[in-house]
Amino acid sequence: MILNFSKAATLLIPSLLHGFSVVVQATILGFLLAILLGMLVAIGRLSNIKVITGPLYLFLELIRGTPLLVQLVYIYYVVPLLLNLLASLFGYKTDVQIASLTAGILGLGINYGCYMSEVIRASILSIDRGQTEAALALGFGKYQALFRIVMPQALRSIIPSLGNYLVMMVKDTSLLAYVAVNELLLRTQTFASQTFLTIESYTFLALAYLIISIPLSYLVKRLETKLKN
Amino acid sequence: MFNIVELGKKFGNLEVLKSISMFIEEGEVVCIIGPSGSGKSTFLRCLNLLEIPTSGKIYYDGTIIDADLDTKMLRREIGMVFQKFNLFPMFTVLENLTYAPIHINKMKKEEANCLALDLLEKVGLADKKDVYPSTLSGGQQQRVAIARALAMKPKMLLFDEPTSALDPELVGDVLEVMKQLAAEGMTMVVVTHEMGFAREVADRVIFMDKGYIVEEGKPEKIFNNPENQRTREFLARVL
Repeated sequence: MILNFSKAATLLIPSLLHGFSVVVQATILGFLLAILLGMLVAIGRLSNIKVITGPLYLFLELIRGTPLLVQLVYIYYVVPLLLNLLASLFGYKTDVQIASLTAGILGLGINYGCYMSEVIRASILSIDRGQTEAALALGFGKYQALFRIVMPQALRSIIPSLGNYLVMMVKDTSLLAYVAVNELLLRTQTFASQTFLTIESYTFLALAYLIISIPLSYLVKRLETKLKN
Repeated sequence: MFNIVELGKKFGNLEVLKSISMFIEEGEVVCIIGPSGSGKSTFLRCLNLLEIPTSGKIYYDGTIIDADLDTKMLRREIGMVFQKFNLFPMFTVLENLTYAPIHINKMKKEEANCLALDLLEKVGLADKKDVYPSTLSGGQQQRVAIARALAMKPKMLLFDEPTSALDPELVGDVLEVMKQLAAEGMTMVVVTHEMGFAREVADRVIFMDKGYIVEEGKPEKIFNNPENQRTREFLARVL
């Protein structure tokens, strides 16, 4: 068997570069969604209102108890069918579909949002109660105190762990191949099956992920040390 | 200013305040003393509704205050200084002072800065305006906290053991600022363990124990000639 890295390089690398923009899109939008959802879930769970905390707890258990891959497949294939079924019960005939990248971003955002909500919740609880009291005593409302005074401090303290989630999410975008997002893995699979350059293709794929994740981890570490000082 | 009628506060089954009644007049400096766990701080925190009383009534300038009231308005008129300062660590000293005036009183930034600099001058910390609170000593932080409360131009200040978290040599500067405020006629309610301060500055001293007001009166009377046995025992221990 003769390895042909140069052929793989000239044909696969341009394709991976295209896939790279998909990875960036999915990660950025997925991560923003995750932070937003994480904050909402964290605040909801801290609200002490049973009709909010109860369902949120169930939702968290549901998401954390199932694999991300299954969630992605569910969102992409099952949710549209369910919506169509629901519409048909009311006598409408619909053909709802979810674009694969949208499904991927939703899946990543919801899954990571749930995990991040726990980190955010803990960090809000770790801020001294005196900060809230000082804000209240000055005349800020309960939510103003939370968003203006407590949240900025809480988020600042968890930037390093959020950074780690970001690195993880970049790598997890590879799961989006299973919902037909034309990202790095799917492009490589297609290329390898057409050319039989299996060793070369997947080696380049692995390298591609390393090229993204190593500098990103380094940046996160830099940020962490910077925040400590 | 305040008329407090049979105020009570329970935490679960624990009755911390039992039927506290008193007046606080405008311009008055009231010091509340007593052993720990006597309910002094809880009482103070009821005045700006950081704690919601479980029974009794509080009237502020003739209006009854309770959880339904716009507590934000009340708190804007009553400043509070905490034992642990509670400065905002992500803001500079100057920003700590200007944040509430700008965002609550909608003061212009330049105006708020001017006011803040005047107040920092007053507490002797104008040169620290651009540093972060964590770089200051406890006494300096507490003086900034007093200035922060003053920046809202309150009609009254509540002090919750303002010197209890300070090293002994730093207490003096903070008390000096408080004396100055008292001399300027600020209405102040001070929960304190500083008997010297209470004796010198207070118009009225209140001795609390086990959720009751045991004795109250002019400082000379409380410190030199206490009527109640428990007051005598407490003062014998702390003086």
